[in-house]
Amino acid sequence: MFHNRAEALALALPAAVFAAVVFLAPVVILLAEGFRNADGWSVSAYSGFLSDPLNRTVFLRTLRLGAAVTVVAAVIGYAAAFAIVNLPPKGKGRMIGLVVLPLMISPVARTYAWIVILGRTGIVNQALTSVGLTDEPVRFLFTETAVFVGLLQLFLPLMILALISALENMPKDAIPAARVLGANWFQVFWKVILPLTREGLVIGGTLVFTGSLTAYITPAILGGSKVLMLETLLYQRVTVANDFVSASVIAFILIVMSFAANLLLKRLATARSKR
Amino acid sequence: MKKILIASTALLLIGAHGASAQEKTLTISVYGFAQDAFKELVYDPFEAKCGCKLVVETGNSVERLAKMEANKANPVVDMAVVSMADALSATRAGLIDKIDTSKLSNFDKLYDIAKDPNGDGMSIGYTFYATSIVYRSDKVEVTSWADLLGDKLAGHVALPNVTTNQGPPTLYMIGEALGQNTPDLKAAIAAVGEKKDDIVTFYVKSSQLVQLMQQEEIWAAPIGRFSWEGFTKMDLPIKWATPKEGQTGGMNVMVLAKGSKNQDLALQFMDFWLSTEIQTALAEKLVDSPANKEVKVSPEIAENLTYGEETVKNLKLIPSAVALDNREAWLSEWNAKVGQ
Amino acid sequence: MNSRLFPVTVLVLVTAFLIGPFFIIVAASLSEGETLAFPPQGLSLKWVAKVFEVESFRESFAMSMLLAIGGTAAALALGIPASYALSRYRLPFGETVRTVVSLPIIVPGIIVGLALLRYLVVPFGFNITLALFLAHTALVLPYAVRVVSASLNNLRSDIEEAAVLLGSSRAGAFFRVVMPNIRSGILAAFILGFVTSFNQVPVSLFLSGPGVRTLPIDMLSYMEVTYDPSVAALSALLAFMSIGIVFLAERFLGFSRYV
Repeated sequence: MFHNRAEALALALPAAVFAAVVFLAPVVILLAEGFRNADGWSVSAYSGFLSDPLNRTVFLRTLRLGAAVTVVAAVIGYAAAFAIVNLPPKGKGRMIGLVVLPLMISPVARTYAWIVILGRTGIVNQALTSVGLTDEPVRFLFTETAVFVGLLQLFLPLMILALISALENMPKDAIPAARVLGANWFQVFWKVILPLTREGLVIGGTLVFTGSLTAYITPAILGGSKVLMLETLLYQRVTVANDFVSASVIAFILIVMSFAANLLLKRLATARSKR
Repeated sequence: MKKILIASTALLLIGAHGASAQEKTLTISVYGFAQDAFKELVYDPFEAKCGCKLVVETGNSVERLAKMEANKANPVVDMAVVSMADALSATRAGLIDKIDTSKLSNFDKLYDIAKDPNGDGMSIGYTFYATSIVYRSDKVEVTSWADLLGDKLAGHVALPNVTTNQGPPTLYMIGEALGQNTPDLKAAIAAVGEKKDDIVTFYVKSSQLVQLMQQEEIWAAPIGRFSWEGFTKMDLPIKWATPKEGQTGGMNVMVLAKGSKNQDLALQFMDFWLSTEIQTALAEKLVDSPANKEVKVSPEIAENLTYGEETVKNLKLIPSAVALDNREAWLSEWNAKVGQ
Repeated sequence: MNSRLFPVTVLVLVTAFLIGPFFIIVAASLSEGETLAFPPQGLSLKWVAKVFEVESFRESFAMSMLLAIGGTAAALALGIPASYALSRYRLPFGETVRTVVSLPIIVPGIIVGLALLRYLVVPFGFNITLALFLAHTALVLPYAVRVVSASLNNLRSDIEEAAVLLGSSRAGAFFRVVMPNIRSGILAAFILGFVTSFNQVPVSLFLSGPGVRTLPIDMLSYMEVTYDPSVAALSALLAFMSIGIVFLAERFLGFSRYV
């Protein structure tokens, strides 16, 4: 390790200054607008925002969907990541490629594909009616379910990748050791895998949750105005009502939610390992 | 790595230099519809005529206005076409300038209602459109605006969101059908709110409706006549309703941006667009219905347009001032009754 | 739990879920019909051909490429020195720097675009392309720093120290010892940054202006007016392009050896 502080600062500063000026300053100023009204500093914008039942509904829905997507992504993610990690090297590389592939496709395209898949005449409905589970096509589009599915597909790869990385860094003999000592798979998961891969879960969970909160296209197209989320509400407020104050309030709430989720995940993950 | 850095810096510099080309540019802000036709019939001929370059920004009226507002101190756009109500909104926000009609040779050829739509000299109408209901004639027959909330269409209908240009006119007509029409649109909104689970979506972009109809998600929806063409491309039997309460619609207008550095060129462009020649060409291609009364088209074409003095007069339009003054109220009422 | 069935089933289902939509898009783009549908009605390449004819797609493609390559390069130029400093020195404000640089991931894109428009573009009269370039660089920077840091952390510092002891200059040691070893990290960061920038929508929503649009925004506007399979064709082409880039990178730089 080199100890010349001046050099270190000189190398790191450009990036920090750039981020601060180009990104941080404008955003902070915009957020500040949420805390001002005609008389100066105040939180009246926030109380106003939250007193409107529509806003509360949108807020709770965003939170609910974000949490749901994260939990389901974690469950599926672990299963998939575990399966992938145990593949031979060639297969592993190919699978990782397949997992990364969706990330290369524009979110616009992916979302429109879902319109075709989830529509009344789409594959899902065709399958359901041919198997006999329903008589009439089910309406998926413009429901929370559609947004949920769209968001899950968008962010599952991130969770899987984060978990693969964490699983690979686990000591190789941890699982066989636990099995030899008589643990069943459930115990192996809770007491061995989860604690040892918690960093991956925290990173993956944060990325998925934050992504779901701040996604725009997917809720806008798959949910429409019947399933408003905070981000789509924000866009509506700005473009229709020129309401920058609401925009700033919503932005602040979203940022707080992201930080809170990150902290919560970290807390949950460490609590488990102390048992 | 270094090479990538150098190459991209070079690219950036070239790009920046190229953008500040020396010829005159006119920046216009328009609706996204039929841009191919516009390019062929309006932009390219104008560019040839004036020796200038047209830069086109597209999007819906409200979003483009929001951008104009954001760029107020340093306008990027020279002229724009927006809805009548948005033009009034732009006037109130100080975004546009009075149009010097003496510089428009085609001004007197316009229908009277197009000459000064908002009564403030700040806008000129260039096209009308009717709004009615497009529906699957093999599934249902639509004879009244109230049918939108009726049992026949339950679960298969889409309505425009109140935030769109078609939203308030639709609510207005629903109010007429219910026999309860007040400027606050309360009765109509409440009626829609009660039936909201039967309504597939409150659309924001009309193009999505074509896909929805194709996928059998919906059988009917209120649209502006300008969207009609997209529907005719489908394989399905569809009809344009002539409900007993009548049709509504709107007029789109041209406005001049305040502080634009190319006002004369913008006025030239407006004049060009309003000329009989261009308006006829656009009408024949079923792009826009003319505001120029000297335009003559065949009866078949007229069928598909909002054409003629009589038709235009019979459209039930909401006056801009009413639309603007009530917008906030409509939005809150909508959010309360329908949004959740 | 000794069967291979469970893992295999999971993988098949997950793959279908993740890749399915891609196949739908490709299939829909080859359709003879006028709207997006699956299964496609008839086969035809006409929509793929149409993609190349639409002028605005060509322009916005060029813009997106410019922003993606330029922005990622700039982000790396800023990020590599920063990650080096963060991992090799015990900086007092190291964590702060790392957090500040990573914020763009958390803040909703629409807010970034809006804030930049109101407080950077309008007051200072920035050219829109420049504003987009700055925004994309800021968006890619967190990835550049994080991924390269991860690589650097895995590289033992004693190799560099040895080089310096043996007479190399500090800069020389960096370029000749460190860089080659974190090559895969830089490459990963470049690809990640490129894809992020290329597909970015929310930020560009507010920052695009007349004549200046990124490809995703252009696709969205196009879809708003014309609902035909050409957008599917465009998406499919873009996806293949991205895959091609990664494939080439793997071939020429032996990327997968380091994964």
